[in-house]
Amino acid sequence: MFDRHKPLWGKPPALKQSYDAVIIGGGLHGLATAYFLARHQGMQNIAVIEKKYIGFGGAGRNTAIVRANQRTQQNVPLYKEALDLWPVLTKELDYNLMFFNCGNLNLLHSEAAMSAARMNIASAQFQGVESHLIDAKTCKEMMPALNIAEDITYPIFGAMFHPPGGIVRHDAVVWGLAKGAAKYGCHIHQHTEVTGINVENGKIVSVDTDQGKINTPRVLLTAGGYSAALSYHMLGIKLPISVLNIQAMVTQPLKPLLNHVISSGAYHAYANQTLKGEIATGAHMDAWPNYTTQTTAYYIRHQAQAITEMLPCLKGVKFMRHWSGLADMTPDMAPIMDGNHPIEGYYMNCGWGYFGFKSCTATGKYMAQFMATDECPEILKPFHLGRYAEHRLMGETAALVTYSPDN
Amino acid sequence: MSRLQNQPTLRVDTNKPLSFTYKKKTFSGFKGDTVASALFSGGIRIFSRSLKYHRPRGLYSLDGECSNTGMEVNGIPNVNAEKTLLEKGMQVKAQNVKGSPELDAMGFMDSLDRAMPAGFYYRTMHKPARIWPIALQQVRKAAGLGKISPDFRMTGEFDEIFPTTDVCVIGGGPSGMTAAIAAAETGLRVILLEARPWLGGFFDYRQSEFSRDLPHYQRARELEARMQTLPNIRVFTHTAMVGAYSNNLVTAFQIGNEKDPFDERYLEIRAQSMIVATGCIERPLLFENNERPGVMQIACAHRLANTYGILPGKRAVFSVAHDLGIEAALDLFDAGIEIAAVADIRDNPSHAALVSELEQREIPYLKGWVAREALGAPLKSVSLTTLQGTFEKKLECDLLVASAGMTPVTGPLSMAQAELAFDQHTGFFLPKSLPVGVYAAGRLLGLNDSRAIEASGQVAGLSAALNCGKASAQALKDAQEMLAGRPQAERGCNLVMAPVKGRKAFICFDEDTTVKNIKQAIDMGFDATELIKRFTAAGTGPGQSGIPGHNLPLLVAQHHTDHGALTRPTTMRAPLVPTLMATYAGTNHLMSKRTPMHERQKQDGGVMRKIGVWNRARYFSDDFSCRREIENIRNNVGMLDATTLGKFRIFGPDALKALQRVYVGDMAKISPGKIKYSAMCNEDGCIIDDGVVVQRGENDYYFTTSTARAGITVEWIRYHTRYDGWDFNLVNLTDAFGVINLAGPKAREVLSEVIDADISNAAFPFAAYQEFTALDTIPVRIMRLGFVGELSYELHVPGSWMETLWDALSEAGKPFGIANFGLETQNVLRMEKGHLIIGSESEQRTTLHDVGLGGLWDRNKPAVDTVGAVALQQTENQEKRLKLVGFKMKNTRTPPKDGSIVVDDRIRGHVCIARYSHTLQEAVGMALVEDPLHAVGTEISIYEDECQGQLVSATVVPMPFYDPKGERLRS
Repeated sequence: MFDRHKPLWGKPPALKQSYDAVIIGGGLHGLATAYFLARHQGMQNIAVIEKKYIGFGGAGRNTAIVRANQRTQQNVPLYKEALDLWPVLTKELDYNLMFFNCGNLNLLHSEAAMSAARMNIASAQFQGVESHLIDAKTCKEMMPALNIAEDITYPIFGAMFHPPGGIVRHDAVVWGLAKGAAKYGCHIHQHTEVTGINVENGKIVSVDTDQGKINTPRVLLTAGGYSAALSYHMLGIKLPISVLNIQAMVTQPLKPLLNHVISSGAYHAYANQTLKGEIATGAHMDAWPNYTTQTTAYYIRHQAQAITEMLPCLKGVKFMRHWSGLADMTPDMAPIMDGNHPIEGYYMNCGWGYFGFKSCTATGKYMAQFMATDECPEILKPFHLGRYAEHRLMGETAALVTYSPDN
Repeated sequence: MSRLQNQPTLRVDTNKPLSFTYKKKTFSGFKGDTVASALFSGGIRIFSRSLKYHRPRGLYSLDGECSNTGMEVNGIPNVNAEKTLLEKGMQVKAQNVKGSPELDAMGFMDSLDRAMPAGFYYRTMHKPARIWPIALQQVRKAAGLGKISPDFRMTGEFDEIFPTTDVCVIGGGPSGMTAAIAAAETGLRVILLEARPWLGGFFDYRQSEFSRDLPHYQRARELEARMQTLPNIRVFTHTAMVGAYSNNLVTAFQIGNEKDPFDERYLEIRAQSMIVATGCIERPLLFENNERPGVMQIACAHRLANTYGILPGKRAVFSVAHDLGIEAALDLFDAGIEIAAVADIRDNPSHAALVSELEQREIPYLKGWVAREALGAPLKSVSLTTLQGTFEKKLECDLLVASAGMTPVTGPLSMAQAELAFDQHTGFFLPKSLPVGVYAAGRLLGLNDSRAIEASGQVAGLSAALNCGKASAQALKDAQEMLAGRPQAERGCNLVMAPVKGRKAFICFDEDTTVKNIKQAIDMGFDATELIKRFTAAGTGPGQSGIPGHNLPLLVAQHHTDHGALTRPTTMRAPLVPTLMATYAGTNHLMSKRTPMHERQKQDGGVMRKIGVWNRARYFSDDFSCRREIENIRNNVGMLDATTLGKFRIFGPDALKALQRVYVGDMAKISPGKIKYSAMCNEDGCIIDDGVVVQRGENDYYFTTSTARAGITVEWIRYHTRYDGWDFNLVNLTDAFGVINLAGPKAREVLSEVIDADISNAAFPFAAYQEFTALDTIPVRIMRLGFVGELSYELHVPGSWMETLWDALSEAGKPFGIANFGLETQNVLRMEKGHLIIGSESEQRTTLHDVGLGGLWDRNKPAVDTVGAVALQQTENQEKRLKLVGFKMKNTRTPPKDGSIVVDDRIRGHVCIARYSHTLQEAVGMALVEDPLHAVGTEISIYEDECQGQLVSATVVPMPFYDPKGERLRS
C-alpha cells in the first residue's frame, strides 16, 4: 500500500545565494507563510531558515487546542478563519491534520466570571461564531468526569461552550505545511542559523547564516519565543515582549474519557484528551521571564492539584511526560504583525504568547499576502507595532497582566 | 506453581500466601511478589495486548521499561504489574483486549502492519473529508491503553515531605550505597533513594562471588548494614526518583508499606550535592518478534529465579552480549533449566572463566551468533544467525533470553542538565560534563568490575562531600587512585540490530514501532531523532523511553553517515517514572484566605464565594437581587466585612516621595485628619488601583488599595523606586487589620454606642480620618467614606479585636435594624452612586481619563516623577477610546445582562454592570463605549448573548444616578 517513501519536504536543498524572501523560523507561522506564499501568492523562490529542526519550538510544544472564542472583534475574525482553514488545509495539503472538532468548555467559577464570559459569547455570536453560556448541570452531562460539587476550591458555576473548537495534531501541521511549501518550490533549510540581517538605505538586502549569505529583499521574522531577541540583536529593534516558560504535560494513554477540551481560568488549568488517548494538560505561564524551557517541580504539582479538583477520577491516572516551551508575551496578549516599518522589506509576526498554534493558518495566509503585495491586509492592521507607543492596547485580556514588572 | 526454595537471594516469603483475583479467578502469590511475578507463577504468560497491533506481550524486563505488564489494578489503569507489590484481595484486569489476553478478538491487527506504516494516520482517513469524523471516533476507541471510570474516586493517604539534605544519592545499589557511606562518614546528612523495595541493586539477586566466599548479594547486605550504623543516612526504599530541577531539587515518590501511615508519599528534596548511581538497564536486542512472550532480558529471567523463585522456562536459548548473560545462564542451569545454547554477540567475553563454566555444564557456547527471529506463539523455537547473516540454525526452546548489552540509566543526569555524549568504547551515552554539585557513580559510567563500581561510589561520595565543604582533597585523591587501579570500563557490544529486515523487530513496544517504521520515517525526510520520535511515536509511551531510549538514536545514526552529531539521546522528561496525579497533588494546597468574620458571616446566612485569594460573603438575601439588603442600607444601617482591602503603612524620610511616584495626585497636599482619594496608573496611563491615603504622623502614612492589588503593591512601589535609594519602609498590613464598613443613614447612631467621643457631622465630617478607642479598649482607625452613597464609616481594627467590635456594633445596631450586607449589595449601591470598581468598569487598556477620573491627576507634579504621567498627557485628547458612561434603559425595566455588548455595525463597547435599581425604580448601568458614543443623550444599542439579533436600547445619562449632590454621604 505504501511501499515507496519519498521525503515529505524534498531532499535537503542547497542554500541558494538569493531568494525573493527569507523566513526566519521553521515553526508553524514560518511554514504557513511559506506555504501560502509559494502556493497562493506565486512567490516560490523563498527559503525557510531553521536553526534546529522544523517544529522544534512552540509548534511542537503546545497542547494543540484550537478555538475562536477570543474577546475582541479584531481577534475573533482572525481565529475564526484559522479554525475554518483546518479542513481546507487537510485537503489542500493532502495530509490529515487530524482536526478533532470536540468543542471547548471554558469553566466559570463565579458570577463575575459568568459576566465576563458573556461578553466573549455576545461578541462571538455577533460575529457569527458559535458560543454559548451553559450551566453547571449541563457541563456535567457533557462531561461526566467533572466535579460540580460546591465544596471544592472553585465550585463550577457554568461554562462557555464553544462547539467549533477542538484539537489538531500539531506535529502533523508542521509536517503538512512543510510538505506543501516544499512542493511549490520553497527551500527548507534545517540546522541553519541566521547570524545577521543586513540593511542598506533603510531596506533589507541580505541575511547572513552559518551556511552562507543570502541576498534577499524581504525577511520575515517569525521565530516564536526567540523573535524579540533576534529582532533586537540583529536590527536593534526592541519589541515589547517578555519571554516566559509555559509548561504542559501528558498522562499515560487512556480509552476515551474527555469528550471536550476543558479549561479553567480560576484553576489555571486546561486539559484535553488527544486522539492517542493521553490527557494533555497545561496552564498559565511561569511568573518570571526565562529562555530555559526547563520544567519546575512546583508546576506539575499545581497541575495535579488543580486538575484533580475538577476531574477527580484523574487521581488514578499517571503523569508521563512534562515539558516546557516559550511564550512571547506582549503587554496586551495580542501579537505583533507588521511590515516595512521601520525597515523596508522587514516583516515581523511574533508576540503570539500561547495563541500561536490556533492562529497559524490564517496568519500565514495574510502575512503571505502582505509580503507578496506590500499591502497590509485589513485584518492584520490592528496588530501593528505602533499601537504600544500610542498606549492603545488591544483588549484581548480584560484583567491586568502581571507577568512582567514593566506593565 | 511451586517456588525454588533454596535460593538465598529470595525476596518472597513463601510462608505468607496472598490471594487476589484475575479473570474472575482466584490466584495466589506470596508476600514480596509483584502482581506480575505472582501471575507468572500462576501460569500467566500473556499480560496484555499491544497498542496498535494487539500483539501478545509478556514479562520482558521487570523494571517497567515498557507497558507489557500494564494492567488495571483496583480500578486504576496502566499499573505496572511487574513493579507493583502484591496485596491481598487485589482486583487485577488485563487492558486493551477484546476477550482475554490469550484470545484477543483484535489480534488480527497484527497482520495489517503493511497498511500502517510510520505516520499512516496523516496520509489516510481524510479522503473524502466526510469520513474523517467517523474514522476519528474509531481511532479514539482503538487508542489508549487503560480505562478509568469517570466516577472513580481514589482512596488512601497521599503524604508529602520536603527534606533538605547535604547529599542526595539516587540509587541504592553498590555504588550508591558506597557513595552514601563515604559522604556520611564525613559527617554530612545523606538521603538515599532506591526505587525497588530493597537495597542492593544488581548485587541483590546474584549468587556469584564478589570476593572469595562472599557472594554479591552478601556484599550488598554488608553495605546495607554499614549504612544502618550511620544515623545521618536516611534511606528511602520503594522510592522512585522522578525529577531533577535547578539547584539539585530532586523529586521522588515513595510507596508505603503496611507500617507506613501513607499509601504514597511525594518527596521534594533540596540537596547541596546529588549523586546519580542508577546503574544500567539492558539494551533490547532487535530481531524479528523480539517482544514475543517467552523472550525476556537477562535480569528478568535471572531475577525471576533468584528473587522470586520462579523458573522462567523449561528450555532456554540465550542470545546475549554481556557477562551477566553467561552468569544468568549458569544460575538458571543450576536451578534446573535446560540451556540449549548461549549465543554471544561479542568476539570475546571478558571472563574466560565464565565460558569454561559453560563448558563444564556442556552448554553450547556460540561466539559471534545472535537471535534472528523468535518463532511460534507461544514461543517454540528461535532462529540464530551469525552476525553477517551467513549461517543459520534453529533451536527449540520456550524461553529466549535476549539482550544487546547494557545501557546506562541516564534520566536523572539528563534532567539535571548534564551533557551526554556517545562513547564508542562502551557504546554508552556518558556524561561529558556534569553541572556543579552533580556526580555520577557506578555502572552507568560503563564499569563492570564489582570493586571498580564500589570505588567509583567512593569517589562520587567524597566529591559530593567536598562540594559541601567536607572531606579532604587527599581522601578524594586516594579514592581516585584506588578507582584508577581497578579494571576500567569495558568495551560494549556495538551491534545495533540482528541482520534482519525489521518488519516485526520492535524498537518500541509501547507504541508498536518497528525498525522498519524508523527506516520509513528516515526515508520520508525525518532526520533528527526527536522528529522521528514524534513521527513514529517511539519512546512516547508509558515506558518513558526505557526500551527505545538507546536503540533509537543508534539506529538513526546508522542511517545518517553525514550527521554524526545526531547520535544524541532524546530529551528525558519528568516524571522519569509515571506518577499518579494523586501523589503529585498530595494534600490539597489550593487555599483561600478567610477574614476574622468568616464563620460568623456564614452562620448569618452569607453565601460565600472565592474572590481572588479570599473567601467573601457574596450576599445574604434569598436571591441574587438582594433587594432586602439594599433597601436596608438606603433606609437603615448595615455592616460589610471589608477586611480584604489592601492596607499599608509607609513611613520614613522619603515616604512621601514614594507616594508621589506611584499616585497620580499630589500627595503633598494631604492634610492631617483628612482622607486623600487617589489612583495609581501604569506606564500606559491605565488605571490599576484606587484608594485612600491618610497621614498619621510625620513621614508616616497609611493607605488602602483595592483587594486585587493588595498582593502586588509592595512589589509595585519597590519596583518603581528601585533606582532612587530612598529611605522609607513599607509594611503590608492587609492581614493584620480587619475592616468593617458601617453604612446607612443610621450609622452614626450605631457607632456612637461603641465610641465615647464626639462623632457629630461637625466634629467628624465626610472625608475625615480619626483614631478612636472603641469600648474603652479597642484602638480603631475610622475613615468617613461613602462608597455606597450613604453616611458610612470604615473602621480599621486590629484583626484580633474585629469580632468583638463587630459583635458590639451588631448588638448596638439592633434597634436600628442593622443587618449584614454582602458584595453584591455593595456592587449595586456603588453603581447607583456611579462609583467604579477597577476591573469591573475598567479593562487592562482603560486609562484614568477613560473612566472619567482624569481630575485625580495633578498635572503640576513633575511628570517624570509620576508613573504613567507621560501617557496621561499623551492620551488625554485621544479619540476613539472606550469611555465609561452611565446609561438608563429605554422602554424596559429589565437591565441587560452584564457583559452584553454595545453595537452598531460593529462592536462599540460593552456593559460593565447593569441592574434594576430599587432605589431609582428603573434599570440603569455602566458601560465602556467607544468615543463619540459616550456623549450624554446618545442612544446606544445593546446586544445580549442568545438575543437572536433583537437589540435593546439605552440612553447615555450623566452619573451618579443616585444622590447626585452627595448630600446623603455628607449628612
